Amino acid sequence: MLDVPLVELVDRLLNRGVVLTGELTISVAGVDLIYLGLSVVLSSVDTIRRAGTKV
Amino acid sequence: MTLLLRAIVAADDAAAATDLGLETVTATVVAALASPWEGTLPAGEAELIDHHRVVQTVFERVPCLPARFGSLFPGEEALRMRLGERERDFATQLARLGHRCELAITCAWRDSGAAAPIAIVQGTSGRAYLERGVERTREDRKRERRAEEIVAQLLGELAADPASIRHRTCPRPAVAVSMSALVTRDEIEAINSRLERLGARLPDVTIVVQGPWAPYTFAVSE
Repeated sequence: MLDVPLVELVDRLLNRGVVLTGELTISVAGVDLIYLGLSVVLSSVDTIRRAGTKV
Repeated sequence: MTLLLRAIVAADDAAAATDLGLETVTATVVAALASPWEGTLPAGEAELIDHHRVVQTVFERVPCLPARFGSLFPGEEALRMRLGERERDFATQLARLGHRCELAITCAWRDSGAAAPIAIVQGTSGRAYLERGVERTREDRKRERRAEEIVAQLLGELAADPASIRHRTCPRPAVAVSMSALVTRDEIEAINSRLERLGARLPDVTIVVQGPWAPYTFAVSE
């Protein structure tokens, strides 16, 4: 089962907080992404849980 | 040097973080704290958790607006220019939030909330499949109503200014309520006690409280 507390933290880190759009363009699979944030982290939250990361 | 934004602080507070290995980019009344970024993309869980730890360390010392993970800048000037465009807003937010912190209050369904997928049973009719779907919708709505009841009980216990509370019901299958409360540090012990007593009275959810964290949910964002 997904680690609920960890998911709550990850949700805040990826979806909340101050955003200052960076100027660095990141390409993923040949597609330029101007806005970073969630698109930067492709590791699924379930992967984080399986890694046993302690917060 | 690529910089990863960590947090925004008042310019007068920037000196408090000089021993953390962070770059300070100062505008007139606010400053951005950033880390040299040498990682590879896409970032993973280690970078996420590290971001949280850096932000928390700053927040333990001075009020800050935590940055959403992932704001990369090609250098100080780019960051300074962007910071300067919005520093009045950031200064207002810092003054509004002060050193209040965020409590993350999660009510997880004791039965995990996970519903089995609607199965296609060989030999049964399409009507039967649709009826199972209708029943599933009915159950989901029942959970939503129950989640709203739990929100009302939580708000009663917190007795807080509505502007200091944000919440969502049923954001994920395992979660009835995900709530963020903006509180002062000296309120935390009493809040935890009240929520513990409430949790003992709720037969269908477990209440998990995390924090105090920097106020991610209440910081300004684009």
